Amino acid sequence: MNTAEAYETNAATDSQTLEMLRVNDLHAFYGESHILHGVNFDVKRGELVTLLGRNGAGRSTTLKSIMNMVGRRTGSIVINGNETLRMKPHHIPRLGIGYCPEERGIFASLDVHENLLLPPTVRSGGMSLDEIYDMFPNLYERRKSQGTRLSGGEQQMLAMARILRTGARLLLLDEITEGLAPVIVQKLAEVLIQLKERGMTIVLVEQNFRFAAPLADRHFVMDHGQIVEEITAAQLPSRRDHLNTMLGV
Amino acid sequence: MTFIKKTLATSIAVAAASTMAISTAQANMSDGEVRIGYLADMSGTYRDLAGPGGQRALEMAVADFGGSVNGAPIVVFSADDRNSADVGANTVREWIDQRNVDMVAGMVASSVTIAVTRVLEENNGLGIISGSAASSITNEHCTPNHIHWVYDTYPLANGTAQAVVEQGGDTWFMLTADYAFGHALEGDVTRVVEESGGEVVGGVRHPFPTSDFSSYILQAQGSGAKIVGLANAGADTVNAITTASQFGLVQSGQQLAGLLIFLNDVHALGLEATQGLLLTTGWYWDMDEEAREWSERYYEEMGRMPTMVQAGIYSSTMHYLKAVEEAGTDDPETVRAQMAEMPVNDFFARNGRIREDGRMVHDMYLAQVKTPEESTGEWDLYEILSTIPAEEAYRPLSESQCKLVQN
Amino acid sequence: MTMIFGVPLAVFMGQLTLGLVNGAFYALLSLGLAVIFGLLKIVNFAHGAQYMLGAFAALLGFRYLGINYWLALFLVPLVVGGFGMLMERFLLRRIAHLDHLYGLLLTFGLALIFEGTLVNFFGVSGARYATPEVLQGGLNLGFMFLPTYRAWVLVAALAMCLFTWFMIERTRLGAYLRAGTENSQLMQAFGVNVPLLITLTYGFGVALAAFAGVLAAPLYPVSPTMGSSLLIVVFAVVVIGGMGSILGAILTGLGMGVIEGLTKVYYPEASNTVIFLVMILVLMLRPAGLFGKEA
Repeated sequence: MNTAEAYETNAATDSQTLEMLRVNDLHAFYGESHILHGVNFDVKRGELVTLLGRNGAGRSTTLKSIMNMVGRRTGSIVINGNETLRMKPHHIPRLGIGYCPEERGIFASLDVHENLLLPPTVRSGGMSLDEIYDMFPNLYERRKSQGTRLSGGEQQMLAMARILRTGARLLLLDEITEGLAPVIVQKLAEVLIQLKERGMTIVLVEQNFRFAAPLADRHFVMDHGQIVEEITAAQLPSRRDHLNTMLGV
Repeated sequence: MTFIKKTLATSIAVAAASTMAISTAQANMSDGEVRIGYLADMSGTYRDLAGPGGQRALEMAVADFGGSVNGAPIVVFSADDRNSADVGANTVREWIDQRNVDMVAGMVASSVTIAVTRVLEENNGLGIISGSAASSITNEHCTPNHIHWVYDTYPLANGTAQAVVEQGGDTWFMLTADYAFGHALEGDVTRVVEESGGEVVGGVRHPFPTSDFSSYILQAQGSGAKIVGLANAGADTVNAITTASQFGLVQSGQQLAGLLIFLNDVHALGLEATQGLLLTTGWYWDMDEEAREWSERYYEEMGRMPTMVQAGIYSSTMHYLKAVEEAGTDDPETVRAQMAEMPVNDFFARNGRIREDGRMVHDMYLAQVKTPEESTGEWDLYEILSTIPAEEAYRPLSESQCKLVQN
Repeated sequence: MTMIFGVPLAVFMGQLTLGLVNGAFYALLSLGLAVIFGLLKIVNFAHGAQYMLGAFAALLGFRYLGINYWLALFLVPLVVGGFGMLMERFLLRRIAHLDHLYGLLLTFGLALIFEGTLVNFFGVSGARYATPEVLQGGLNLGFMFLPTYRAWVLVAALAMCLFTWFMIERTRLGAYLRAGTENSQLMQAFGVNVPLLITLTYGFGVALAAFAGVLAAPLYPVSPTMGSSLLIVVFAVVVIGGMGSILGAILTGLGMGVIEGLTKVYYPEASNTVIFLVMILVLMLRPAGLFGKEA
């Protein structure tokens, strides 16, 4: 609870804190297996960054580590000036974070409307239901359906939509375009642009580089549990071939 | 052979007297000690009618006897048979093999008792049964190695059923526990009812144990019989009576006949639900001055009045110890012969004697549960209506199938 | 007289009614078990003991504190439920990360401890709890004499079932519970205090058992072993209904009560086993249970 207030004061007084998220020397373990080997990166307020890399490079684990959903972590994760390594999992979202898992996590026993209302509000200033239904009119039409009866694209919309309601300012989105038709991917790109305009900070784990490239301010390339390269949007055109080799696409 | 892991062995009453003199008499006692094993349901359905209270009664007898016989200290072991014939038989086998236990007391569930008596016979031990009901224990299952003390199904049927028919309850509906004991009791009751000029018009056999009797009570109500006979025991009887009272069985003109009812059952049920119930008992704590005197001592120890089984455990242990003292040995055969020779007349048994089939016959009593208005205290529960003389109460030897009886 | 399969209509109707009353108990108890299993993934073997504690709390509360039936109906679930929360917080939580078998063993052990302790103090004969005055007597339904108290049990148990259904299916807290049952880790990532939710859920399940215990107190002798025999049947009911659905648990509970009741007329010897026969049948034909979701 008081962590959220701490953020308010930080944001107000510490104007030089443009940093939304800073990850330093992060190691993560699932039982005996060591997954992350010293991850370092930072995200500035209002930025959209991507975590790129092959399967198993540690991108999803990085997001989960930030949410304290893995076994054991060492290093440092600072969100809005708050060190979160020792925080309980359910306190972390209250710093204003919304997380959209790779498997989307739509609840079968809840209908669309209930799914949408499920995540508790973590900060004021979230989007209203009307705004959300405006942004995703399909969801409004299907609001009485069971969550998992939706198409893959609709489920992805729902997974995104429900964290917009909570007032989160930092979104961690894991593989949101995976397996979706091009027209849906296009829609998601539009949504991300709108969110950026609203001042949201976004960390995007993506396989689909063509989707991510035009949206992102910076790209972090991961390999073997580490960030091996940082590429800004400006550097992108010259590094494209190099990236394609690295990502094996 | 599986040993009982959880045998609680407690030795008590190694009185100061016992260390005094290792006398010559002791030479005739195996191991120089008289060892008694108390076997009973210590934790289940039948706990309250014998259980820890029975052990206390036994220990009282040992203490009252002085803690030793002819200088040989008396040692008591106890174990929970958990109403399992296997557990009971194995415990007793171990007691005899490993601990040289001379006499086994207690014994409640008839199935356990029958298994234990076989072990006693094979190993030439001695058992005095106080808790069990089945009359077959001294009929087709009789052995020279055990004695049946307090009561059995024969006088239960004889006493209660006959009295009820004589009072005009000539049509019966039987509610029977669906296992050997229930069937036996049902058979005995049916015989007595028919011999007395009554008729059994119907019945239902319920699983053992059953907690919800509403359905069977409804069937009993539908039968139109004047009497609903309960051929079950313990919690089943308690549940049946409770349910009958809720369904207004008595108010609608029918009457219950409980065939095996213990004091603790009536206490648990309360007089409101049991008033007027006829029952046969081997003893009642308030039946006379001697009984009261002993019971009050017991009450101070346990905070409850004793059941007939608990009183019988004291009585039979006393009788056993006297016989050991008299015979000067704890050899089972000699002691049993000695016990049979001495008549039993104490606070528990009137006109008691041990027959050759092992049955201790004594006066039985027809009792009626008091109404709440008549009762003057928590344990003032029965009124003794009449005495059934010892020689009439039990199955006559002329009908016996026991191998020890010459017919 | 109208006969149904050789049984007079009146008897048939009577047994049907009694079956429903018993079924209401099954429904209440299996509901609590299903709710607990859903979120904690623990087969709560202490459920029977907690039902028994409910009845005992009512009995002792009346005897020593003069708490009447109606107050007990309200207070006892709170107290026993609170006790359940302490059990969860200090015992079950410690082993939550281990195989679920450990939870089963722990709750089974606790049940034995509760029962053993009470047997030591109160014996097994059980004590009577008086039926509240307004509910004494009976209703003449024409085909049977139905004790008022049993009618009340049916109404109260069904009302509680409906209340539970409403809480779980129609409220925000219930949505948390349903979602937590599916994916509790994600719920934490949304900022829901899942450990607290688990404690509350366990407490609620236990409170349901205690409520059933208070309802049962005037019907059956209040004894330390009253829960253990009932629990096995309730487990069978849960297996038949499937763990998945709240409404399923309620309907299965009522249905099994009726089937058991009718067995008592047609073939009483089998009345203790009929539910297990149904269970075997269901397991063969629909392993996930009648209302369960196929895995």
